[in-house]
Amino acid sequence: MTLGSILHDMWDIFVKFYIGEGLLVTGVGYTLLLSAIAVFFGTILGSLLAVGKMSRIKPLQYIITAFVEIMRGTPALLQLYIAYFIVPMMLTNLNPTPIACVAIGLTLNSAAYVSEIIRSGINAVDKGQTEAARALGLTSRTTMTKVVMPQAVRNILPALGNEFITIIKETSLASNFFVGELMTTYAIIKGVTFNTVPTLIDIGIIYFVMTFTLSKLIGVAERRMKAGA
Amino acid sequence: MHDQNMLDVKNIYKNFGSLKVLKGVSTTVDKGEVISVIGASGSGKSTLLRCMNLLEEPTFGEVWIEGKLMTPVDPYLHYDVIRVSKTYKNLVAGGMEDTEAIMKIKAEDLLIEKHSAEGSEYKAMMDKIYRENHIDTNLGRRKMSMVFQQFNLFNNLNVLDNIMLAPVETAKYNKVKDLKAEKEKIEAQAMSLLKRIGLEDKAKVFPSKLSGGQKQRIAIVRSLAMNPDVMLFDEPTSALDPEMIGEVLDLMKELASAGMTMVVVTHEMGFAREVSNRVLFMDEGYIKEDGAPEKVFDDPQDPRLQDFLSKVL
Ligand SMILES: Nc1ncnc2c1ncn2[C@@H]1O[C@H](COP(=O)(O)OP(=O)(O)OP(=O)(O)O)[C@@H](O)[C@H]1O
Ligand SMILES: [Mg+2]
Repeated sequence: MTLGSILHDMWDIFVKFYIGEGLLVTGVGYTLLLSAIAVFFGTILGSLLAVGKMSRIKPLQYIITAFVEIMRGTPALLQLYIAYFIVPMMLTNLNPTPIACVAIGLTLNSAAYVSEIIRSGINAVDKGQTEAARALGLTSRTTMTKVVMPQAVRNILPALGNEFITIIKETSLASNFFVGELMTTYAIIKGVTFNTVPTLIDIGIIYFVMTFTLSKLIGVAERRMKAGA
Repeated sequence: MHDQNMLDVKNIYKNFGSLKVLKGVSTTVDKGEVISVIGASGSGKSTLLRCMNLLEEPTFGEVWIEGKLMTPVDPYLHYDVIRVSKTYKNLVAGGMEDTEAIMKIKAEDLLIEKHSAEGSEYKAMMDKIYRENHIDTNLGRRKMSMVFQQFNLFNNLNVLDNIMLAPVETAKYNKVKDLKAEKEKIEAQAMSLLKRIGLEDKAKVFPSKLSGGQKQRIAIVRSLAMNPDVMLFDEPTSALDPEMIGEVLDLMKELASAGMTMVVVTHEMGFAREVSNRVLFMDEGYIKEDGAPEKVFDDPQDPRLQDFLSKVL
């Protein structure tokens, strides 16, 4: 197998399957869909977890800490397997599809990481800012919304962007359940052509283009935000 | 029922875990007084100031602002309350005399924290004192603004918005009818404050673009915009380059001569001597000396104060 033949096969496979059979659109589509769902709902849930953990309710703090530590301390693939089996059992009358189960698993995983991102983003805001606001008689809520959060967002957004990139790569685990995202296309094409390496390289390039583009976009957004300060 | 001092600090104790930082501090601040608080590092000056506006919650003791109670009721400060407690009644029933029982209860911190455990009469009396005198913490804080060593201008807001934030939020909180007109009034006041310190051209500038002296003067007028009755300063010039100390001290002197009530923690002995009417010397969690600046500086009684002055003067 020469380099020339690999390049040749890569091109062939790309044209035939990814363009011709539309696998590029569906694969990238499902990957981005899964990632967007996980990041979007993960951010909402993660914010709630962060708020809960910063509240004064001790039992809530313990439960959230346990959840976050478990999600961060066990493999994502294992979590997806559990979600894949448990979600249908819990939501029997909704009949969730495999992709829905995987989306839920990824969302929970991302929520754990996002909650830590938000918490550390808030904690990184100088305590003096809160003290000055409270000393002026602002309520803790106004202090949060008008002083702390606007500053925390500057720490949080870039880290959230990175979490998006991580999740894009993590969605490849969903191929274990054959849900049609980019990594699933490997199994499809391999089944027809038995040509593994060129297919994998094609997939790698597509992932890279996605994550690289995203990280450049994040960079631009970050510079804009700094300039606005 | 309470005499109307501007600020009344009653027997404040503050513990951080096992560290006892304030060990029974009492003082009153009258209207128009300028009080300097001096003392060695770690003696509890900042903690005292922060207890005054409840940035730190005192472990024991009460803080009163204009006859209104900022803290919870401290039963040890009310003998009539102690006398209706179960603990007191038990001691007296055991043959102890009134004064002796009260002293013992105070000295050994015998009252049970949970009010109802000391009987319904006790709880009712505690609740009544609280209900009749208590002021919401945020309302109390609006009467006494604080200026910090590190300025603490809001980094996400420009200078004008830094000054306007608290007054505007207060107007919203008070459900002012014509908020737009109120905002214009607040903005006009903010601009005139900036003019007063010669920084009106910085209105739209963000704090990161200002010098330390400018930041601190803006922090001071940000406090002034709340029309406070008392201003607390915690080493307002300690983080400044030497050439900027003057401009901040000048502004503070101007406030003092305009009759502002001020409590100033400072290492500027010149300021303490010239501008203040009273100097408090703090040492190891106590106010060791309290008097006119001439008396404190020229005729110090406490040996620790003599020692301190010999080091700083
Ligand atoms: N939040 C806190 N938690 C624990 N210890 C604290 C806290 N704040 C202050 N302390 C301790 O309390 C003591 C008194 O501190 P404080 O800041 O009141 O001193 P200070 O007189 O203002 O000193 P300085 O002149 O250095 O500002 C110090 O030993 C300090 O370490
Ligand atoms: Mg201090």
